[in-house]
Amino acid sequence: MMPTLDFIRPTSTTEVLDVLDRHGQEAAILAGGTDLIPGLRQKAARFSGVKMLVDISAIEELRQIRYSDNGMSIGTAVTFSEILGNDLLSEYYPLLVKAAVNLGSVQIRNRATIGGNFINNAPCADSVPPLLVYEASVIIQSKRGEKTVPLSDFLSSPYQTRLEPDELVLHTLLPPVSEGFNGEFYKLGRRRGVAISRITLAVLLRNNSGKVGDIRLAAGAVTPVGIRFTDLENDFRGRDIIPRELKQMSRELGKRILQETGLRWSTAYKLPVTQQIFYQILSSLANSGG
Amino acid sequence: MGSKSIKFILNGKDVSVKTLLHRRLLDVIREDFGLTGTKEGCGIGECGACTVLLNGKAVNACLVLAGQIEGAEIMTVEHLAKDGQLNKLQQRFLEKGAVQCGFCTPGMLMSATALLMHKPSPTREEIQDDIAGNLCRCTGYKQIIEAIYETAYGRKKNSSE
Ligand code: FES
Ligand code: FES
Repeated sequence: MMPTLDFIRPTSTTEVLDVLDRHGQEAAILAGGTDLIPGLRQKAARFSGVKMLVDISAIEELRQIRYSDNGMSIGTAVTFSEILGNDLLSEYYPLLVKAAVNLGSVQIRNRATIGGNFINNAPCADSVPPLLVYEASVIIQSKRGEKTVPLSDFLSSPYQTRLEPDELVLHTLLPPVSEGFNGEFYKLGRRRGVAISRITLAVLLRNNSGKVGDIRLAAGAVTPVGIRFTDLENDFRGRDIIPRELKQMSRELGKRILQETGLRWSTAYKLPVTQQIFYQILSSLANSGG
Repeated sequence: MGSKSIKFILNGKDVSVKTLLHRRLLDVIREDFGLTGTKEGCGIGECGACTVLLNGKAVNACLVLAGQIEGAEIMTVEHLAKDGQLNKLQQRFLEKGAVQCGFCTPGMLMSATALLMHKPSPTREEIQDDIAGNLCRCTGYKQIIEAIYETAYGRKKNSSE
């Protein structure tokens, strides 16, 4: 059974912010409902204080994908189907689109929103690794004002973020990606289609005449929260793109993930697989020129 | 709290219903309108038995709340047959043996309907992708994919009629 809840459906963000200002502690933002609704029915602990649902799916402003000099901004209530259908995103941020293709079923993609995906911050939130390598930031509003926070800072621990009860995520900003990067998003799931993802990796690589010119690397699901490995990226820059070095880099990634996770039951299986996948991604990106 | 009246379009007709807004669309359809073609399997968005069309898109009715459908257009499996006549897709499902226990069938039909509305000539692979959110314990999917494929392209030349 669904617990008894108040339900409101504001038509403007001002209205949402007013409600959050007064009832933020007990209000949950609802958009696609693909996490929240099953979570409420199963009485998940993280939704236990919820007494009111604030449905933002009718607010036009939060459903827009916009292009500007600062990059692409994606409204928090934009669905993964809408991301898939956007030509500019496909062209400039293909890893995000690839994550969207592999996310859930058609029915889920038609409802699940990008904001919901990273605000719920499950370890398996598929959009997170691509958003991290694209250096996304999150635009947050409350009655106290507006602020911009890098996504990597926004995500704190599993199922938690730095979002305050009175705050609303308006959109995500993807800055322009500099030239010359080739990228890959990889997902290994348990079952095709509706798999909750178990290993995700997002990699951007710039091949500078046989050396690692630049690299961006993020993982999800293998680690407790989606994470970008900037320390490894620094180490990897300038290395020769030859099989021996790529293997070494994969081992270093494995070590780093182990540090991040402690030893979880699934690590034993995930670690070698992740290293192997990373090696394959690097090899294929190295060969795809650029 | 309390019930509120919502208006929407259900199978082509303007309807209104008094309901608690946090009830599921699935329950509104089945209990308030008696349209029991839409099934509940998992209740958490994984099986697709509850698939309906919301503004022309396939969605799981177990993951939509009543308050979210004000003004929307909902289509359920009951809308496919006209005047007691099964539509082409439904007929093909029967002919191809795509229906065994039938529990997944309404959801499958709605996913297929959405697909054919947006992409009248899908590849087998596209069909497979678009019904990936509809689980069937009985058929192994092959017959279902064939039924959808033949609805799109007409019957194979050599099939008997
Ligand atoms: S009952 Fe809705 S997806 Fe299973
Ligand atoms: S026919 Fe029985 S579940 Fe599909």
